[in-house]
Amino acid sequence: MPELIKVDARGMACPGPISALTRAYRKAKNGDTIEVLATDPGFKPDVQAWVKRTNNELIELTEEGGVIKAVIKVTGKRG
Amino acid sequence: MERVLILGGGGGGAILANLLPKEEFDVTVVDRDEYHVFQPGNLFIAFYGDSIEKYRRPIRSLLKPHVKLIRDEVTEVNLNDRKVKLKGGKSLEYDYIIIATGANLDFDAIEGNRELLESYGDFYSTLENAEKLYKTLKEMREGRFVIAIADPIYKCPPGPHKGAFLSSTLFERMGVDVDVVLALPFPHAYPSKTISDIIEPELERRNIEVHTFFTVDSIDVEKKRIYSLEGEELEYTVATVIPPHEGPRYKIEPSEVKDESNYLKIDKYTCLIEGFDDAYAIGDCTNAPTSKSGVTAHLQAEVVADRLQGFDAKYSGRTNCPLITDGMGLFIISDYDHPPIPVRLSRFKRLLEDLFVATYWDAIRYPELWQPIFHAYFDATSPAKLGERGW
Repeated sequence: MPELIKVDARGMACPGPISALTRAYRKAKNGDTIEVLATDPGFKPDVQAWVKRTNNELIELTEEGGVIKAVIKVTGKRG
Repeated sequence: MERVLILGGGGGGAILANLLPKEEFDVTVVDRDEYHVFQPGNLFIAFYGDSIEKYRRPIRSLLKPHVKLIRDEVTEVNLNDRKVKLKGGKSLEYDYIIIATGANLDFDAIEGNRELLESYGDFYSTLENAEKLYKTLKEMREGRFVIAIADPIYKCPPGPHKGAFLSSTLFERMGVDVDVVLALPFPHAYPSKTISDIIEPELERRNIEVHTFFTVDSIDVEKKRIYSLEGEELEYTVATVIPPHEGPRYKIEPSEVKDESNYLKIDKYTCLIEGFDDAYAIGDCTNAPTSKSGVTAHLQAEVVADRLQGFDAKYSGRTNCPLITDGMGLFIISDYDHPPIPVRLSRFKRLLEDLFVATYWDAIRYPELWQPIFHAYFDATSPAKLGERGW
């Protein structure tokens, strides 16, 4: 069953949010969705670069009230 | 007399034990090892060939005579009942407890990592493994020496960079053509972009090959390849992979005080374990959102010593992580309210680091004498003061 993994990285300084995403990604499998909340402005370009490098899918990247929300569909894990 | 029980005789535990006045406190330190290790010494053993003896001292010799030392392993801590059980069968009671047993390195979490460690040694885990890595590197004539990381949370954030810089100098001194490769889980060459921008030219100048977004997933020791979570692979001749870390493995009641990686959940300012007013944790065993480094343990030990004496001391989150090359150095300076400030590499800062290494044993044994000197330094170099101007 695909799972939704939530990562709350609000308040963490760079590269805290990407590190938290990496830790969640280790446990994830293809088909899962990872949702990351972050307040560090550096997270936006970092997560875009990350999905490109890892061949995962960025299905949502929004910012509201200083909180960045990134939703990633896991598609890039080796079998 | 208040009974203070300190688990761990490393930097944090020993400084705290020595700071508490003997008239007010009955202090006991428990440690499973005979020796206190100066962990940055691993680098000087692995890349300069220094002797092991230079970087360890019997814990007993570092503690003041009135501090009791028990050499045993902790098996269970019960914070509700204020009791600690030891492997040797002893049971201890306390009025205040401070957990300072550091982080464990899990070499079995990543496939192939233990074999890698046993084949080549490393510059992270023990002085003996550092000695082994030096012997391994001295035999290299060509190929690739790869330094990689299995989890973004590890001790001493600039450790892998120091390893890359110092190994490149070692190969240069040996006159051999070995490529140094540094693979990091971060978007840039250092966790902080500010610091990354400062050290990138130096990494380039030394032809150190940097791979970003590379978090080790597994190691194939037959094919000599390291695979990343992000889907890439690296070939090596000799490699060392910093393993995932975790907090204490021994049982702690209530179990909710540990997070998912076994780190103790503390208040980041007071170092009190969540839900308790008589139990603290300091150093690498906590979940405090700051670097796992000696300076953290040292400053937290001072905070706890003050708090036990009735003062409202708080840890600012200050870091002072040295990043050194063979002749230069810088300090990564930050706190809870300030990200790392801009700093530059200089010979003077390398000299400061060497001075610190030389004073280490004395600073542990007589923290009260060194406190004013360290305080003057931390005050003069505080992120709030240096700010964007940098250092």
